Amino acid sequence: MLLIKNLTASINGTPVLKGIDLEIKAGEIHAIMGPNGSGKSTLGKVLAGHPAYEVTGGEVLFEGRDLFSMAADERARAGLFMGFQHPIEVPGVSNSSFLRLAYNKKAEAEGRDELDPLEFDDFIHEKIKLVAMREEFLDRSLNEGFSGGEKKRNEILQMAVLEPKLAILDELDSGLDIDALRVLGDAVNRLQRADRALLIITHFPRILETIQPHYVHVLSGGRILKSAGKELALELEERGYDWVLEASAAGGAR
Amino acid sequence: MTSMVVGSNLLVDLLSGPRPAEWASLREAAEGRLEGRDLPTTKDEAWKYTDLKALAAIPFGAAPRATVDISAYLLPEMVGTRQVFVNGHHAPHASCASAVPAGVRFLPLSTASEACHALGSVKNGLTPELFEDLNSARFEDGAVILVPKNLKVALPLHLLFLTRADAPVAVFPRVLVVLEPGAELELVEEHLGEGTYLSCPVVEVRIGEGAILRHERVQRESPEAFHIGTLKAEVGRHGQYHSRTLSFGARFSRQHPWVRLAEGAEGTLDGLALLDDQQVADTHSFMHHAEPNAVSHQLHKCIVDGKARAIFNGQVRVAPGAQGTDAKQQSRNLLLSETARVDTKPQLEIYADDVKCSHGAAVGQLDPEELFYLESRGLNADDARNLLTYGFAADVLQRVPVASVRRALRQLVMARTQAASLGVLA
Repeated sequence: MLLIKNLTASINGTPVLKGIDLEIKAGEIHAIMGPNGSGKSTLGKVLAGHPAYEVTGGEVLFEGRDLFSMAADERARAGLFMGFQHPIEVPGVSNSSFLRLAYNKKAEAEGRDELDPLEFDDFIHEKIKLVAMREEFLDRSLNEGFSGGEKKRNEILQMAVLEPKLAILDELDSGLDIDALRVLGDAVNRLQRADRALLIITHFPRILETIQPHYVHVLSGGRILKSAGKELALELEERGYDWVLEASAAGGAR
Repeated sequence: MTSMVVGSNLLVDLLSGPRPAEWASLREAAEGRLEGRDLPTTKDEAWKYTDLKALAAIPFGAAPRATVDISAYLLPEMVGTRQVFVNGHHAPHASCASAVPAGVRFLPLSTASEACHALGSVKNGLTPELFEDLNSARFEDGAVILVPKNLKVALPLHLLFLTRADAPVAVFPRVLVVLEPGAELELVEEHLGEGTYLSCPVVEVRIGEGAILRHERVQRESPEAFHIGTLKAEVGRHGQYHSRTLSFGARFSRQHPWVRLAEGAEGTLDGLALLDDQQVADTHSFMHHAEPNAVSHQLHKCIVDGKARAIFNGQVRVAPGAQGTDAKQQSRNLLLSETARVDTKPQLEIYADDVKCSHGAAVGQLDPEELFYLESRGLNADDARNLLTYGFAADVLQRVPVASVRRALRQLVMARTQAASLGVLA
């Protein structure tokens, strides 16, 4: 699904990613963990096509296609989704009409039928149950005045509407209380299928209790220092990140 | 030829017609103040950014009576609550006040009694602007609205000022709105037209104790028109005045809203201007917290494209003794081209010590983070830009209480921001 080879990227001339190699296959859930400032959010943004980052080297193939030959919106229509750590607010545009617009852009790209407002109404009412969102949030302006948790709920609703092949969820757990985290984690699990993949970017291992990854990677200083199974998350929960960083510095963590 | 000489000619032209008989003392006083005055130039601080040379060069004449089909401008909520004025003259056949509740007076000035309706009685202690005096000296007609004590008018009232002329004309619409204590009213005031003309409306508002006026002002003048408007609102104790001025048309428009808040009163002066080509829209507002514990809000937004220019000067005065004042002012501006320009300036004068006053001004382009967010959902760069531009404007329209007006304005904004094809207006 996604193949990252020796990816390097910088922002304003400062290197942030210094050689990332990662392969994500269909059906897999990967977690990228790391201390603050490690570059893990950057990886998500580079993959999604954030304009502030410059890809300076390496290659990324998404479903066999060169990811960097596609603009951010093309990547989205091709099935890549990023759930934002800080979703933006758009006053004046209702949440439901925005969701319908995004849905129809993707449907158009895939040659499927677009949904008119009435059809979409039925469709979206099924989807909001999945994330336990109250109906009133559909009529409100996109993310405007939403709490941190409500914004995250809306991100997962967008994911449910767009049904991406690969979803990158950046710090889904920040701003969420335990109950909301469980609801959204369950929703993400239910959206996961054998032909889809997930990349969870997180600082805290807590979310990985609900969304259980097949692989956990520790990213620091723009490199993946250690990759292992989900037991690594538990170890990080107990011991923090320092031991991985120290072992890596000593040349032994890999 | 200097602009001063041209200016004098314009004033002479505009004042050359006969002085209407009614409201003689108001007109005499205005003419007296106009004597020897010239059009302001960019040397006047208040007109620093707005050059009136183009206005001065046009020979405006008196506006003829005309019959116009207004069916396209009717609003469903206001079929029986409208007064229509064409070229400054009342249009009785286009007007209909059959649904206006008993006790409410909603009349053309030309049929109202001068003795009952003291025009010019809302005084702000400032020397009237030249264009306000021009209106007082030469207005032909306009509307009187009077809502008696404690009457809450369910249907909104609609004032439509339409100007249509083959040769350049000047019109001076005049409006007086009086809400007695406890009364409530929604008023939609629209200005539109075709051709080259100067429209100088003056709207006076008196709001009694605890009364509430919601006032939507829509300026959709022709692209060749000049619109220079004055609004003066006096809000009584615990009264509320909420206005929104939406400027879409005119090559040159200027708004002078002035609001005086008595104790515990609430005032809103929101504005939205959508400008393109060579349009200029200038707002010089004055929010006067004259007494304690009044609250005011101002959100002024401009979207400026092409070589257009927006000017905002927002004065807030907190008088001595006006403790407990809460005043908020925001000027937010979106520049869509390299050649667009915005000049924004808050002006706070605070003579009391226990007050909350906040103001902010921002001029910028669309936020790349916001664009990226929308693009990451599959919208191409143009769609994302148009949607954000629409959202920036639609924010102001959300609170327009009259549904058909809100819908019409949204459609107008969609068309102007090229967001119509996105179909987000479900």
